[in-house]
Amino acid sequence: MIRLNLVLLLAVLISAFYLVHTQYESRRLYAAIDRSQSQALKLDAEHEQLVVQKRAQAASARVQQLATSQLQMRQVTPGITEYVALPAPATPESRP
Amino acid sequence: MNRRHNADRGASRSINYSASPLLASKTPMWRSKFIVAALAVAFAGLAGRAAYVQVFGNDFFQRQGEVRFARTLELPANRGRVLDRNGLILASSVVAQSIWAIPEDVDKASPKLGELAKLLELPLADLKKRLAVEDKTFVWIKRQVDEPVAKQIAALAIPGLYQRREYKREYPEGEAAAHVVGFTNVEDRGQEGVELAFNQQLSGKNGSRRVIKDRLGRVVEDVRDVIPPLDGSDLQLSIDSKVQYFAYQKVREAVLAHKALAGSAVVLDAVTGEVLALANFPSFDPNYRRNLSGEQLRNRALTDSFEPGSTMKPFIAGLALEKGMVTPVTQIQTAPGRIRIGGASISDSHPHGLLTVNQIIQKSSNVGTVKMAMQMQPREMWETYVQAGFGQKPQLPFPGVVSGRLRPYKSWRPIEQATMSYGYGLSASLFQLAHAYTIFARDGELIPVSMLKNPAPAPAQGVRVFSEQNARAVRQMLQMAATTGGTAPQAQTMGYSVAGKTGTARKQEGKGYADKKYRAFFVGLAPVESPRIVVAVMIDEPTNGAYYGGVVAGPVFSQTVQQTLRILGVQPDMSVKPQIVTEFVEESF
Repeated sequence: MIRLNLVLLLAVLISAFYLVHTQYESRRLYAAIDRSQSQALKLDAEHEQLVVQKRAQAASARVQQLATSQLQMRQVTPGITEYVALPAPATPESRP
Repeated sequence: MNRRHNADRGASRSINYSASPLLASKTPMWRSKFIVAALAVAFAGLAGRAAYVQVFGNDFFQRQGEVRFARTLELPANRGRVLDRNGLILASSVVAQSIWAIPEDVDKASPKLGELAKLLELPLADLKKRLAVEDKTFVWIKRQVDEPVAKQIAALAIPGLYQRREYKREYPEGEAAAHVVGFTNVEDRGQEGVELAFNQQLSGKNGSRRVIKDRLGRVVEDVRDVIPPLDGSDLQLSIDSKVQYFAYQKVREAVLAHKALAGSAVVLDAVTGEVLALANFPSFDPNYRRNLSGEQLRNRALTDSFEPGSTMKPFIAGLALEKGMVTPVTQIQTAPGRIRIGGASISDSHPHGLLTVNQIIQKSSNVGTVKMAMQMQPREMWETYVQAGFGQKPQLPFPGVVSGRLRPYKSWRPIEQATMSYGYGLSASLFQLAHAYTIFARDGELIPVSMLKNPAPAPAQGVRVFSEQNARAVRQMLQMAATTGGTAPQAQTMGYSVAGKTGTARKQEGKGYADKKYRAFFVGLAPVESPRIVVAVMIDEPTNGAYYGGVVAGPVFSQTVQQTLRILGVQPDMSVKPQIVTEFVEESF
């Protein structure tokens, strides 16, 4: 009888410690996942920021200004454009 | 050590417990009973307290516990982006930190405040004034600081100074598209333009989650299901940012060159009815909005109405053809360049003689137009104008769109009917004019316009105003107007045939017309055979000598058409003398 009780006590103790451990582990992992998620969000935001910055660098006003002032480029006119017909039906928004 | 041990031993030997007189004395019974009773009461008290905490006051304690470690986190939703027709960003939200402080906790004598002021580009005195409000526990120092600056500020580690993550709107296209896109305020709500018109669609819905945080502030558990944030949806406009930029640039150049007050340009896709560009000058940079004036903010092309002047004449010619009153080659006597209607006299700026209807439009003769108009019923004229969209709000979801003014025909006096035939006595916005000219571009149909890109591009279905044949005839007249001998040879552009009508309207001032204040217009389309775009240009009060529509607005039209058609990939319909010089180089290895 006493032996059984002891075994049961041991079992209860093991279970209790295991529960505490699991709880601890789950919290730790949850915190980790949360940290990763916020990291992802941060990177996402940074990505968007970089995309916008890239777009601002490529804005028409800036491109034109640099093209004319630094590269001495000038506007194209039909006079200096060679038009070629596409053999197959092209995409509706074909660009020269 | 040893000695002490010995001493201890000696002490233990010296006291004989069994012989203690205290133990020998008999304890009264009530003392032990009292102790037991006291312990029992104490246990009962504990049990009672436990029962109270667990059962009766459970809610209260549960709540108090939660208040201490459960937090509701707001999950901010992203505002949707505004894109142009090719998917390029016109407006997007990026993260920016807002700096706030608890004034009490900030050390006002700290030398770091000087550095902070420098980083924030605020005068130090201003910063100190903000921190002087001691009774407040929350003060914004500066909102929406750029990320790199925010990092530097964080590195200063000033106690009592905190940062809060917010979103800031960025407008990469800057002033070129400022009026179309508009802007938002610090609360991320649309204030102008598309940002205001489509605020609901663009703004998302914040989500939230309830979490338990541990002592270090880490999230360890979600208490309830997360309500995910609902991001605002992206908005794709029909605007082409390149066309928009060119139109803006050309208007800007013209306004500066002619020392004008302002200018606008509208570019419409004549096939789909989409707005490709809507540019105004003066403009503003939506990224830095300080000291903005109403002059800069106004989207003139949509919100300003004015008398359209000669640009109305083609509608009279169209109606005259439609009624069978004239053919394009019917001759009308315009000599001596004056006509009397009632008590007033209407004259041409350059007197002509016998003109065909074609030539009346080509040379923009007031007298000829009035002679045609006076044979019409006021109701017919009014109906044509209404069908062309005058006096009605354009179907654009835009703040402040005006309808212009077109009085009911019943109240027209003969002189008013006459002046209305050449565009005085009624008013319209530049956008309405451009829209109305889709009739000539689309062989007699007025097509609906749209600010948003059509996901499945299809030719717009229009409402017929003139027959196909008559609309084409008017288009021919408009083409003649844009050639040598017409009013706007400057509107011609290399490689593409153009058709259009100039307008030079005197500005109204008070009750009469100002003596030397004009508005110059040009409204036209290109290429003539199968029009792809309609372009309208308005320059307000050119003061540098020239003021005629053809001279001032014509070149803007020409350049805008040239660039737009090239960007759209339209092949030139007129032969161009090639300027490509090919040099023969002998092949070599």
